[in-house]
Amino acid sequence: MATTTATITLASADLLTDALSFSTTATLTAAGTSTGLTATTGLGRKKLASGHAQYTLFDGDQYANGSHKVYLKNTSTTASQYFTIEINSEQMGKLYAGDWAFFPWEANADTNDIKIDPSADSMVLEYMLFIDE
Amino acid sequence: MATIATVELTSDLLSDNMSVIADTTLMKAGTTADDLDQIEYGVVEIATGDEFDLICSTPTATKASKLYVKNHSIDETYYIAITQNAQAIGKLYGGPNGSGDWMFIPADFHDAAADIAITSNGGTNKVEYALFHEGTALTTT
Repeated sequence: MATTTATITLASADLLTDALSFSTTATLTAAGTSTGLTATTGLGRKKLASGHAQYTLFDGDQYANGSHKVYLKNTSTTASQYFTIEINSEQMGKLYAGDWAFFPWEANADTNDIKIDPSADSMVLEYMLFIDE
Repeated sequence: MATIATVELTSDLLSDNMSVIADTTLMKAGTTADDLDQIEYGVVEIATGDEFDLICSTPTATKASKLYVKNHSIDETYYIAITQNAQAIGKLYGGPNGSGDWMFIPADFHDAAADIAITSNGGTNKVEYALFHEGTALTTT
């Protein structure tokens, strides 16, 4: 069985009086089971064309309702550049230069698309989807 | 006052073992010199069927807040459903030995309805969360 893990570490020496440092690892499994996820898009990189229109990154009707996991990274080094992330037209947030995100995606409806909207031309997004088949 | 968030993804799904590492310093929106300097950090236990706003939308509207949520339940059939403005984002399942799901997202709380809500399913879920933000609207006494 394939094993896929996701580890996050959050650390700050000076945000609080006591140093903040914690780390946790999730083993990515199919919904409600201990069976590891068996499919992935692999790591992708997309340079978005001029006009910076909104793009559908992952289409809800292409995936079953499940425990998918999404990884996104804005590779820009220009601080003001961001990707706006939407799920089913609900704005989640803005991924600024250098930021990454990792979140579960349910794909529970055909309209439950993940869309990205770059704030400038020629921005590059790194992305990966772990798929619950 | 820097806070650094690092992610490492490893998998043997592909022929070449994968290891992706990325880190980011949590900054206020559109800056490189002004760190996110406020935090709300806690742990809650939620009985199955209960739903409530983990983070209401008023604290940090249209900023570059970052939200971390982890399900510490040890049963892989337990989960918390995450929604924003009633729109499903996904489910964070529990797992043995602390291997339950987590998420880390940018959350800009773009309007008054854009609350992050969680619903507990399967049993009582223990949820850890941290919001790194730029300010909150404190309630007047």
